[in-house]
Amino acid sequence: MRQYLFQRLLIAIPTIIGVTILIFLAMRVIPGDPLQTIYSEATGVYILSEEELAEVRASLGLDRPLYQQYLDWMGQVFRGEMGYSFWTKDPISQMILRRGPISAQIALFAVILSWLIGVPVGLISAYWRNSFVDQAARAGITIFLAVPSFWLGLMIILFTVLVLTWRPPLTIIQFWEDPGANFAIVALPSITLGLGLGAGTARMARSAALEALYDDYVRTARAKGLGDSLVIWRHVFKNAMLPVVTTTGLALGGLLGGTVSVEKAFAVPGLGSLMVQGMQERDWMMIQNLVLVYGLIYVFVNLLVDLSYGLLDPRIRYS
Amino acid sequence: MKHLTRRRFLQVAGVGAGVAVLAACAPASTSGPAVVEEPTPVPTPAPEVSSMDAGMMRPPGNPKRGGKLTTAFGVTMNSFDAHQGGGVHVLGHMYNSLVRNNLVNGLRTVVPDLAESVTASEDGRTYTFALREGVTFHDGTPFSSADVLATFNRIMDPPAGIISPLKAEYSFVEEITAPDAGTVEFHLSAPRAYFLNVLAATNAIIYSEKSLQENDFDLRDVIAPGTGAFRLVDHQPAERWLMERNPDYWDAELPYIDEIELLHVPAWSDRGTAVLTGQADMSWNVSFETWQEGSNRDDIQNNLLPNFGAYWLFMNNAQGPLADPRVRKAIHLGLSKQNLKAAFGTQEVINITRWVPQGDPYATPPADLANMPGYREDKSEDLETARALLAEAGYGDGMQELEILAASGPQAELLAPAVQDMLKRDLNIPTRIRIIERASLGSEQQQGTYELMVHTRGHGVSDISPRGNLWWRTGGSQNFGGYTNPDFDSLLTQIDDETNFDTRKGQIDEAQNLLDENPPEYLIGYTYHLPMWNQKVKGIELHDRIFAEWGRMETVWIDA
Repeated sequence: MRQYLFQRLLIAIPTIIGVTILIFLAMRVIPGDPLQTIYSEATGVYILSEEELAEVRASLGLDRPLYQQYLDWMGQVFRGEMGYSFWTKDPISQMILRRGPISAQIALFAVILSWLIGVPVGLISAYWRNSFVDQAARAGITIFLAVPSFWLGLMIILFTVLVLTWRPPLTIIQFWEDPGANFAIVALPSITLGLGLGAGTARMARSAALEALYDDYVRTARAKGLGDSLVIWRHVFKNAMLPVVTTTGLALGGLLGGTVSVEKAFAVPGLGSLMVQGMQERDWMMIQNLVLVYGLIYVFVNLLVDLSYGLLDPRIRYS
Repeated sequence: MKHLTRRRFLQVAGVGAGVAVLAACAPASTSGPAVVEEPTPVPTPAPEVSSMDAGMMRPPGNPKRGGKLTTAFGVTMNSFDAHQGGGVHVLGHMYNSLVRNNLVNGLRTVVPDLAESVTASEDGRTYTFALREGVTFHDGTPFSSADVLATFNRIMDPPAGIISPLKAEYSFVEEITAPDAGTVEFHLSAPRAYFLNVLAATNAIIYSEKSLQENDFDLRDVIAPGTGAFRLVDHQPAERWLMERNPDYWDAELPYIDEIELLHVPAWSDRGTAVLTGQADMSWNVSFETWQEGSNRDDIQNNLLPNFGAYWLFMNNAQGPLADPRVRKAIHLGLSKQNLKAAFGTQEVINITRWVPQGDPYATPPADLANMPGYREDKSEDLETARALLAEAGYGDGMQELEILAASGPQAELLAPAVQDMLKRDLNIPTRIRIIERASLGSEQQQGTYELMVHTRGHGVSDISPRGNLWWRTGGSQNFGGYTNPDFDSLLTQIDDETNFDTRKGQIDEAQNLLDENPPEYLIGYTYHLPMWNQKVKGIELHDRIFAEWGRMETVWIDA
């Protein structure tokens, strides 16, 4: 197990380095100079001379060779600093730490909701396969899989604004500062994401449960005289969870990195919104660091998912 | 030297002071109605003030004290230095200027701020400002003429490493002197009718000499103490600003509210929903659909304010068919502003104006525009003239394909195709659209590597003189299209120096005629800003404003 963990971590290192190189180069290849955004009509500074532009470029460290800029950035990352935003000049690590919990809450709540909805629906659907309940569940699953989360988010926000005259708070309120207000921020985005994710979970749980229901060990359990509830709970549920954990883990990795479209729809000040803002402002440092964080989260969550297989299925051994 | 009476002061300098801050551009709304209602015609500014006591602004009604005002708007910035691109719509709450646009009469006049009175010499070349006594900065430093000198000397003669974009606006100021601690004199090379409008701009705030010296004259990373009605309490980047009432403010009556919270809400629709749901009390500019929703609500008020940012079809005068003034005039006549307005209606409300925007006292009234070639809705006669001009220029049977450069997003998706369609259908000018990132348009423009370009451009002061010299004068520092018109140059020199309103009005009308006849570029239209606020927000008379100005609001009170 320990050796397996070590090997996986070793493999993760070149992956992360590759991600950093890719995003670093991409930011410098795509059109759009951050200085053109910083000094523009929007800021009231319309035109800068070439000398002034050169001066500002130097002050941001953009006049140095690319390899030097990359190594400086990596040095900052290893020191846990991540540099400063081109736009606001604030420490990026602090901005990520402040907004990260909101995005993390949304992701976790969405996953919890998806399990609360998806697993029972999947199991019920499988147990009463081809019944009216199954047909209705499958129709619901198809609908929620097809509906994009940003559209669902817009519909929900339209409903709350126009009918309830309410919308979630627009500022960052952490759970430990005011749990009620914090819940108001994360609830609707979590529901929006959770419904879509729950549909996927239900579909996965249904197909896994259907497979498990006809496996030999289930037939044996029934032959032993075990009741339906015990068979479902002890044998079908546990075995059907393996693919569900896999898909949920992959989804969680994506969600923890920021749910851009849903955060945008609800104006949630999370990591996704920070990414969008960074792109609009051509804030290379911000984008680089956020992509790095997303990469780290994804690798870490994948590792956790892999390790969880052993707990769910004793037949799996790591070597 | 003659004393500048209040009436004279208002008439000469303050009428319809045109200052708007072009604050952070949020992404445009992606949905909305297809048809835009005709905006209410903007009233011509009138030089009357309802209530003013030696420059003290007093809102109508019975202002109540206390409470917090929450606004929803874009409040990020990369510089805290108002003279180096800092967001004065945020910073302005903490500072004062020498003079300012009057909040309580819809910005129709300029009133004293840190100056208690202003006198102008007979020749209009010297302005003397008597400064208020007993004013202190938030750190306790007393305010004096040395601060005014340090502030404006830095703008006009920036030390090494300081970028001073405002410098061009003060090019006619020869020298500033301080005869004593309570007096400042501005000596101009020639009289300028709009001088006080420049000083009333929201970015002309006064810093303390102490702050400037302590920070090597560079305040980009420092929120320097001001003299303003509000003091900084907290700033969370890209999230919010919190300011509290300055108990030592020089006007003991103001401000009425205890706190002001500025939420960072970049998307226009989110700003609108924030006001509609009570998350915010007001926003300077919301999306059109939420603005319309506010119109249906009894507890919400809104307005449509002329703004000094515009959409343009820039033309490279230096090469190809566009070097011929007849071709440019044909485009000016042939393109329908009404069609372009409709095409862009889902994004922003276009305000059809001439070269001087509504909100400026020299603007052509909308009723006159309705019958003017190039501006009227009925294009039949204009198209006939345009085709004749093209034929005369040798392009009666068409011309080589031109390139329209446009930024990705609504400008490339809506405006550029509408221009392309009208050019081909009505004038037989074939074009292709090249879409690039918005951030790259500026450099293409400066390098002159374009033929036609859909892009935005704005100005702080509404008067035509400053931008005329930058944009359209031969060799102007921002005349990227290479426009040359000796008649216009000559007339602009006269406009610069003229101080009589009526004479100047005639000159500016003539200058606009010259630009219509020989256009440097095509003005698609200025835009309206769509402020929306809760009924309980009183004292800043947003319903009565004649143009958009995002910034100070020390006269605001909450009718809770």
